[in-house]
Amino acid sequence: MIPDWKLEKYLTGDLPAEEMREIRDMEATDEIFAGRVKMLREDNAAILKKLPFEKLSEKMATMPGRSNGGTGNTVRVNFKLVKLAAAAALVLAVVSVALFSQREMVQGGTVLASSAEGTQVMDVAMVSNVENSAGDTRIKGLGARIEVWKKTADSAVQMSNLDEAREGDEIQLRYSVPEKCFGMLFSLDGNGTVTIHMADDNRAIELAPGKMTTLPFAYKLDNAPKFEKFFLLTSRNTFSIDTGNLDALLKNKDIHAESVNLRKVEGK
Amino acid sequence: MVYRRCMALLKDEAEAADLMQNVFLRVFERAQSLDLSQPSSLLWNTATRLCLNRIRDKKRRGLDVDSSELLLNIACAEDEGYEAQGILAKIFSQEQESTRTIAVLHYVDGMTLEETAEMVGLSVSGVRKRLRTLQARVKNLEVK
Repeated sequence: MIPDWKLEKYLTGDLPAEEMREIRDMEATDEIFAGRVKMLREDNAAILKKLPFEKLSEKMATMPGRSNGGTGNTVRVNFKLVKLAAAAALVLAVVSVALFSQREMVQGGTVLASSAEGTQVMDVAMVSNVENSAGDTRIKGLGARIEVWKKTADSAVQMSNLDEAREGDEIQLRYSVPEKCFGMLFSLDGNGTVTIHMADDNRAIELAPGKMTTLPFAYKLDNAPKFEKFFLLTSRNTFSIDTGNLDALLKNKDIHAESVNLRKVEGK
Repeated sequence: MVYRRCMALLKDEAEAADLMQNVFLRVFERAQSLDLSQPSSLLWNTATRLCLNRIRDKKRRGLDVDSSELLLNIACAEDEGYEAQGILAKIFSQEQESTRTIAVLHYVDGMTLEETAEMVGLSVSGVRKRLRTLQARVKNLEVK
C-alpha cells in the first residue's frame, strides 16, 4: 500500500520519474487506489476553497522585509527582494504544482499549438486551453511570475532555473502578473533564435492580474545547443520587441523581466 | 498536503488551519537558509516540526492533547542533538531537521531509514545515529 506521505508527493509531482510512473500505472489499473487519489484531489479543492491562498499572500505582504523603508543601502534592498522572490516562488510553486498536476489528471485535452517563425512547435496532449481552476486565486503583493513545465508521460513537472532540458522536451509556459499591465512571453535559444510565445505580432498584449494563466499550446524544444531561456516581460505601458536588439529591451527601466533558464544537454 | 499533515498530527481543524498558515509563513521567512530543491519534503517536514512544537506546548501548559502516546513522547523529548549544533555549523550548513521530526517520519509515518534520510537530506547512518540518540531518552523507540 502506498503510504500517505508518498501519495502526497505523487499528487505534487515531487517523486522520481520512475516512481511517478509506477504510481500512475497503479492509479490507472487499481480502482480502489484510484478512488483514494480522487478523494485526495477533491479534498485539495475543498481545502483551497475553505482556506484561500489570498489570505496567506496578504499575510506575507505584511511581514517584515516586504518594504525597504527607503533607508537601506542598495545591496541590502536587492538581497531582500531576491529572498522574497525566492520564497514567494517556492510557496506559489508548491501550490501551483498541486493545482496543476490535479488539472492534468482530470482534463489533459489536446490543444492546437501555434507556431512562431523558424521554430518547431507541435500538438501535445499536455494541457487544456481552459483557464486554471485556481484562476480565482489572486496573488496580490507578489511580482510577475513565469513558470516552465515539462511534460512527463501523462503528467508534467515544473522546471527550475538551470534545470537540464533536451531536444524534444515538450514545454508548457504559465505566467501571472500582480496588476493590470502589458506583457509578452518569448524564448531565446543557444542559436540566438528568438521565439515569441505570447504577443500581438511583436507588441506586448494587455494582461489581467492575479490569475496563473497557462498558454493554450505547448512548445517542443529543437536541437539548439547550450540553453533555452524563457522571458516574461511586463510594463505599465505598451512596448514591442525587436528581436535583433533584445539588449535594449531588457535594459529598459520601464520593463520588468522575469526569466527561467534551462541548460540544454544531449541524450535522453 | 500541509493542511492534511497538520490535521493528522493535531486532530483539530482550527489548529490545523492555523498551523498550515504558519508553515507557509515559516518557509517564506526562512527561504534563504532552506533547501528548496524538494518543496513537498520541506513543507511536510516543516509541518511536522511545527505540529510537534504545538503538541509539546499544549502538554507543558497542561492542556488536553489528542495524540498517540508515541507521538506525545517524541514531541516532548529533549532534542539536544539538534539544539546543541554550534553556531558555525548552523552558518555553514543548511538548516537541519530536528531529531524529533526525523523520529516522526520513521516511527509514525513508517518511512524506512533510507526514505527518512532522503526526506531530510541526511545520510542513513546520520539518521540512525540521531534516532539512537533520541532513543535513549524516549521509551518504546527502536531503530528499525
